[in-house]
Formats: sequence, structure tokens, C-alpha cells
Amino acid sequence: MRLRIPNRLEDVFLALDRAELTLDRAAIDNACRADVRLVLEELLVNTVRHGYPDGREGQIDIHLEIHADIVRLELRDDAEAFDPLQHDPPDLPGDIADREIGGLGLHLARSIASDFEYARDTHGNRVVIRFDPSLSDEPSP
Amino acid sequence: MTLIVRSESPTPARTTVWLEGRLDAATFGDLDEALRDITPLVDNGGTLVIDLSGLEYISSAGLRSLAQLRRHMHDRDNRTLLLNPQPQVKKVFEIVKAVPVAEVFASVAELDQYLDHMQRQITG
Repeated sequence: MRLRIPNRLEDVFLALDRAELTLDRAAIDNACRADVRLVLEELLVNTVRHGYPDGREGQIDIHLEIHADIVRLELRDDAEAFDPLQHDPPDLPGDIADREIGGLGLHLARSIASDFEYARDTHGNRVVIRFDPSLSDEPSP
Repeated sequence: MTLIVRSESPTPARTTVWLEGRLDAATFGDLDEALRDITPLVDNGGTLVIDLSGLEYISSAGLRSLAQLRRHMHDRDNRTLLLNPQPQVKKVFEIVKAVPVAEVFASVAELDQYLDHMQRQITG
């Protein structure tokens, strides 16, 4: 699946539904489907909310590849530079009502993905996330 | 699929809210709005049960709504107990250590037993 969406929340949710449908058609199990949806939601919502502080229009490319043993998700955007791996995990346990929402979402995304890479080039941010469909029942450490 | 919120208050001491669908960045506002009408129905010292049997999915936006609800209820001396989280919701709770394990119940029977026990402790 390849999609290009504008940096708007309603388009993020259309993209999530498309991704889920794609995974469903490829017979990916419920647990892995939900993992991909969650990581996509957390990262895309974060980009849309915080990546364009000047209010400009932006573009986000979503590329989802499904192989027998791996689901690969690649996100590219033209937002402000942001490396999700550079942010410290939030204090756990604590009262999550007090935690900054981005911190919590990124922590979830990093915990669930099997592998997470970040790079920045002339086009903008690029994140590649891999999921192992056979591990989806267990949270990663 | 969106979020459906239903509630029932058989007594002022106990209100149950059922969540069905997805609680995420698109729907958490619907829950916050519904709760604004529901939480005043719970007496001080009462219990709010959130039945999660029909909730298929939660993200950090949904977690935050539930956390704010817990804090709000706690400030009014109320308990918030969570019932029967499904696999994705349970997994997310575990990763973020969102809810004390003592406040999550697998079944209505288990929850009733806990509330009976608490009641006996208060009256006994």
C-alpha cells in the first residue's frame, strides 16, 4: 500500500482504515493488525499535531509492505526534524493523566515495533518500522 | 468503526459505563463529553465501573481520557474499576503500566466479590 496524505487529522484516520484493510486482505492476524494501527496512529497524529508549528500544508507518505515473516512500514514527511528515538521514555509508572501525550504515544509505538529506524534527508523525516507478525501477542521489553 | 458509550446507574453508589469500538485520537472527545453527563450521577464514595468487553482498541489519546477520569473520580472519593479488557487494550495497559492491577477485573463476578469485600471492610 502506498498513500500520500495531507497533514490533517481526518486524513490520518482514513489512512489508518486503509492500512487495516490492506493487512486484513493479506490475512495478517488481529494482534499484528492492531499493533500496526497503533504505531501508525501514534506517529501520524504526533506529526500532524507537532510537526508543522507554522501551520503550513504538508505531505506524509505511507508505504506498507507485507511479507511472509515481516510487516514493514515506512513513513516520510516534510515536517520539522523529529527523531522519535531521541526522546526519553516517560516515567513509568506514574499518573498518565499528567504525562505529555506525545511522550506516551511514542513510548507505546517504540515498545510495540520489533525494529525502529530514523533518518533525516533533504526530503524530510523518514521512519522505518518493522513488525514480526509471530510476536504480536507479547509486548516487547 | 467509531466509539459507542452507554451507561446505567441502578443506584447512586454504582454506575457502569460500557465502551464499544475504538477509543483513539478521533473518538476520545466523544467519551469526555459523555462522561461529563455521567460522572455527576455517581455519589461521593461511589464506584464507576468501565466495562471494556466491547472495546477493541485503545491508543494513547484514549488512555489519557481514562486516566483523567480516574483522577477526577479519585478527587471525589470515588473508585474507578475496569472490567474485562480485551487483548489489545490489556497489552497497552501493560506497556504503559496505565492502571493498577488491583483495579482491573476479568469478570463481573470477580468485581462484585471485590466490592462486597470492600463493603464488609467498611461496615465490619
